[in-house]
Amino acid sequence: MKKFYSTALLFLFLGLVTSAKAQDMPLSQILIEGEGWEPVTGHEASGRTFGFTDGLSTDADGNLYFSDVRSGNAVYKVDLEGKTSEFIPNAEGISGLQWGADGRLYACVSRQREVVVFTKEGERTQLAAPVQPNDLVVTYDGNLYYTQTKDKEIRRISPDGEMTVVSKDVVTKPNGITLSTDQGILAVSDHGGKYVWTFRIAADGTLENAEPYMEMRTPVADPEIAKGDGMATDAHGRYYVTTAEGLQVFDPTGRLCGVIAKPQDENLVSVAFAGPDHAYLYVACGQQIFRRKTKTHGALFFQEPKPAEAPPK
Amino acid sequence: MTRFLFPRGAAGAAALAFLIAFSSVAPAGEIDNYSPGPEASPQEGVPQGTVTQHQWTSEIFPGTERDYWVYVPAQYDKSGKTPTCVMVFQDGGGFVNEKGSFRAPTVFDNLIAKGDMPVTIGIFINPGVIPPAKEGQAPLKNRSFEYDTLSDQYARFLLEEILPEVAKDYNLTENPDCRAICGNSSGGICAFTVAWERPDAFRKVVSHIGSFTNIRGGHVYPALIRKTDPKPLRVFLQDGENDLDNLHGNWPLANQQMDKALTFAAYDHQFVLGNGKHSGKHGGAIFPDTLRWLWRDWKTLKP
Repeated sequence: MKKFYSTALLFLFLGLVTSAKAQDMPLSQILIEGEGWEPVTGHEASGRTFGFTDGLSTDADGNLYFSDVRSGNAVYKVDLEGKTSEFIPNAEGISGLQWGADGRLYACVSRQREVVVFTKEGERTQLAAPVQPNDLVVTYDGNLYYTQTKDKEIRRISPDGEMTVVSKDVVTKPNGITLSTDQGILAVSDHGGKYVWTFRIAADGTLENAEPYMEMRTPVADPEIAKGDGMATDAHGRYYVTTAEGLQVFDPTGRLCGVIAKPQDENLVSVAFAGPDHAYLYVACGQQIFRRKTKTHGALFFQEPKPAEAPPK
Repeated sequence: MTRFLFPRGAAGAAALAFLIAFSSVAPAGEIDNYSPGPEASPQEGVPQGTVTQHQWTSEIFPGTERDYWVYVPAQYDKSGKTPTCVMVFQDGGGFVNEKGSFRAPTVFDNLIAKGDMPVTIGIFINPGVIPPAKEGQAPLKNRSFEYDTLSDQYARFLLEEILPEVAKDYNLTENPDCRAICGNSSGGICAFTVAWERPDAFRKVVSHIGSFTNIRGGHVYPALIRKTDPKPLRVFLQDGENDLDNLHGNWPLANQQMDKALTFAAYDHQFVLGNGKHSGKHGGAIFPDTLRWLWRDWKTLKP
């Protein structure tokens, strides 16, 4: 504890007016009037129907990647023209996907109880097994964090392949997982509670300072369970989380900005920014994927960490 | 409700008399045009207390770091034998700033010397941050989580961490009627939450431009107050007609709801609505009178 006398105070403070004016971030900063959810229909044109879309993720160009946990057998790609194709065949039961800075696609293969990584050519390398991964995020420096929902765990796979449990019994059902724009904060949604938890990623990759930093809106009929699921972050540092009530958005200080209605009355389980300039919100909602154009754009963790951009006036 | 304005420069005795009486003063036509009065400046012959700065790493808000300042009045019994009143401030750095809207240490000096408030130790605490782990990262701001959340966590932080730490050096009262808590905006609702959760520990509340809005559910307080067995609190609320109207709510309406609820439930309270914006200017201008009202019967209390 250090002490000094008050003469030094004169220089120090922006004071309370500054702190009282924390930036308000209403949904009107995100949504565009007249631009609602539209179904991504390219795959319907190809005659394919999906059972349970999940694992939405993007690359540097804005192509969308996703999986079908229930009836799919591939990683699918929606290109910028809106056409759907099989990107990696013979890849069943994937529940989480993300491109790493190394140009490889990391995946939670929940059905086969493993975490794997694919090259662009589809070559598959196992990173961990047997595990029960749900969703993952990969930092720019190559640390992979994934949720092992059933065991109330968050695990880390370090760049040299070592797996450790970095959080246990903090989040009831850890599910969706994302980062702050500067990649210093890990945020994890609770499928069995009403909070999104934040953690400081320590210099050694472990997790510290767990806090129930964001309180999700819950259904009136189930006031303790928000069913927090997939997560994303935008370039302004806002957090997006799919829930029973819709797509909930929080500002970087953990305050609810609002709830974006679901495109249809199905489970909303995954969200990503993709498309041109990564300015489209994509969600997996039941059998279908929907998107809507926004005024913001996604944070991309395979790119260098950066401070949150100031929100528009 | 009392409408109450303090125009810039009106520092004379007449204006002061109005202030003391909490009477209405016609708006000067300008919005949020308030400035600190004479009691926010050092007065000839008035002894000055000391302010020291400290740092704290919390366990209740795990790993958060913050600065806080302790004001000790010149009249404090240095033998340590006299339990002393306490007033805690959220966003403390703003309240101790000698060039800010409040200048609380100087106001304390002047009011204590006049006998308008008891000898009181001020504890001015900044909100916590979780510091970066690597260069280039931003600290995680814990302010909204600490101040806007409706729980006893911040009260426990005060009662289990900060007060015991300050009590190592000073004899602090444990009489809840001699403990006050004050804040602006989210710090204002935080002050109310601390007393609401722990009326056994804090019973005097000052809220300026208080965020009794839905930042994290704080808009429910008027409803809770009306349907809860009244708590033994004394509450001062200030707001301005031009305060915020945003996604979280409408501040002037929320504070009027608080005022009406406190009236309905027969709380000892005072509400002052000026024409200010979301700033500390009005609260700062009337701060000496707020303290006089808050501590008006202090001589009957035993710290």
